[in-house]
Amino acid sequence: MSGPTERAPIESGRLVSEYFRLERWEIPPPPGSDQPSAFGGRAPVDDHQRGAGGGLRTGGLLSTVDSLGGFLSGLSVQPEWIVTTSMMATISRLDHRGPLRLHGQVLRRGRKSVVSGVQVVDEGNGDRPVAVATVTCAVQAPGDMALEFERPVVIPMPPLPPAVQRPEEFFCIEPGTGPVTRLELADHLRNPWGILHGGAAAMLADVAACRAVAPSSEGPVAAGDMVLHYLRPVKAGPVEARCRVVGTQGGRTVVRVAVHDVARDDRLVTLASVAVLDV
Amino acid sequence: MDLHSYPPPHHILGDLGMEAEITSETTANVRIRVTSHITAADGGVRAGVLATLVDIVGGAVAARALRPDWMATADLSLQLVRPATGPWVEARGTVVRKGRTTLVIEALVVNVADDGSDVGVDGGIGGPVPVAWATMTFAILPSRNAGAPMQAASDLPVRWAFDGDGLEVSVLDALALSVVDAAGGRVSMPVGEYLVNSFGAVQGGVIALLGDVAGSEALGAAQGPGGQPALVTDLQVAYLALGRVGPMVSRARVLDDGSDGSRGSAVIELFDQGADERLTTVINVATASPGANPVAESS
Repeated sequence: MSGPTERAPIESGRLVSEYFRLERWEIPPPPGSDQPSAFGGRAPVDDHQRGAGGGLRTGGLLSTVDSLGGFLSGLSVQPEWIVTTSMMATISRLDHRGPLRLHGQVLRRGRKSVVSGVQVVDEGNGDRPVAVATVTCAVQAPGDMALEFERPVVIPMPPLPPAVQRPEEFFCIEPGTGPVTRLELADHLRNPWGILHGGAAAMLADVAACRAVAPSSEGPVAAGDMVLHYLRPVKAGPVEARCRVVGTQGGRTVVRVAVHDVARDDRLVTLASVAVLDV
Repeated sequence: MDLHSYPPPHHILGDLGMEAEITSETTANVRIRVTSHITAADGGVRAGVLATLVDIVGGAVAARALRPDWMATADLSLQLVRPATGPWVEARGTVVRKGRTTLVIEALVVNVADDGSDVGVDGGIGGPVPVAWATMTFAILPSRNAGAPMQAASDLPVRWAFDGDGLEVSVLDALALSVVDAAGGRVSMPVGEYLVNSFGAVQGGVIALLGDVAGSEALGAAQGPGGQPALVTDLQVAYLALGRVGPMVSRARVLDDGSDGSRGSAVIELFDQGADERLTTVINVATASPGANPVAESS
């Protein structure tokens, strides 16, 4: 993916993580260690963000994973920064009580890329495992991005806003049914690079895949395991998620989700695999 | 190492009998015959073997698309949706995106008849009925990079086959996989010429197969005494470092044992024991719901 093309403050990417009220804290390595910091996080799972599975819907879960994994990966390569290129997540529970607690650590730090692992547990249900994910990021020159942090970094949990929005509304996902779902790129959905936030693309993939499967399902459905490849940046949008059901086995339906930038020659910007489950 | 000396005569890719065809500058097909030596309890080819197949088709596509550069698999995901019962199973790879540093490829896996025709047609899309879908990311290794193991030949063949003796035992026995502790997902595999890639490290698909076995054993054991190995349907593999020394050993952490009728899931870590226990790979695995009947669902 390309680097930043305009000045973009790091705070701009916080709007998505603020929606999920993600609290984050840096866990520095032991003194003398050259290992990068780990990171902890906590998201409360507000009622309006719960999906058909009962807990935080998977698009939201991956959004918090992206926010935490991206931040710790970026800190590990300073003075450079990162952009997420792929995420792979296995979801073991959809019925979390919340809050969810996240723990992320760098698994591999190379010259061109960083791979981080993020684990999520349901703190409100005896730390029951909820998800494991790997986040791969490409290292980029930060350009004009402001990257000064007071270390160790502590970002407190944002308060619940007076007026809550459902995920479809916050992420500007148009109402609809069937195999095609559209998202308008509002400014609050941009990441620090000024492009569509990876978490927004995850939420779009979640909603689109569920809408694609729902007509042939007897009851409510929810997204589970998800793989996302961020192929190209989205600077303008709108984007369209086009779904194809690959097949059903083992209690889940696999959906191929291809996200295209309608305003940019309809080019493919994100490719996702979403496992949709009957719940 | 060059293209003409890999794989060596006695090698897992040869024993699987892989046949490859480059179909365009950005597409390729690779197939293997389905035998009882590579199948799981549902009669279909086990996920780890299919991962080996898609890793090879990805490599075939990438070698053509990137020449004269070379590549290394960075991640691989695979989702089974039907049993791969053959008679042949074929992976069809396509370039999704070629960037400066990475190449993303997707692969559809289908059952194929002896005459090469598709087994079944998806009435909805008019194409072949998929048995699995996979995506891969390859890191691009510039040809000027001395670490690249091969000078990719300009005359890459359009068709080739990895000839071998064929498997006379289970692929797991051929790889000398041994289950040390099923409940802990502890599986050990020696490293030798039989299973290395062009870098001289354990082939990426074989790594995925080790994760498949470890997850299957751990999730089966989690069902209690007498629990049978579980049927792995999903693999998410993040390659962190090469496994060169061996033995490769795994460790599993069960996320959900599936005992309440849900799908089982686990995270598997692979270590190169002979290289200071270096963490080489993280593999997320998921299994079919215990009550799910994959044959009925797919019909």
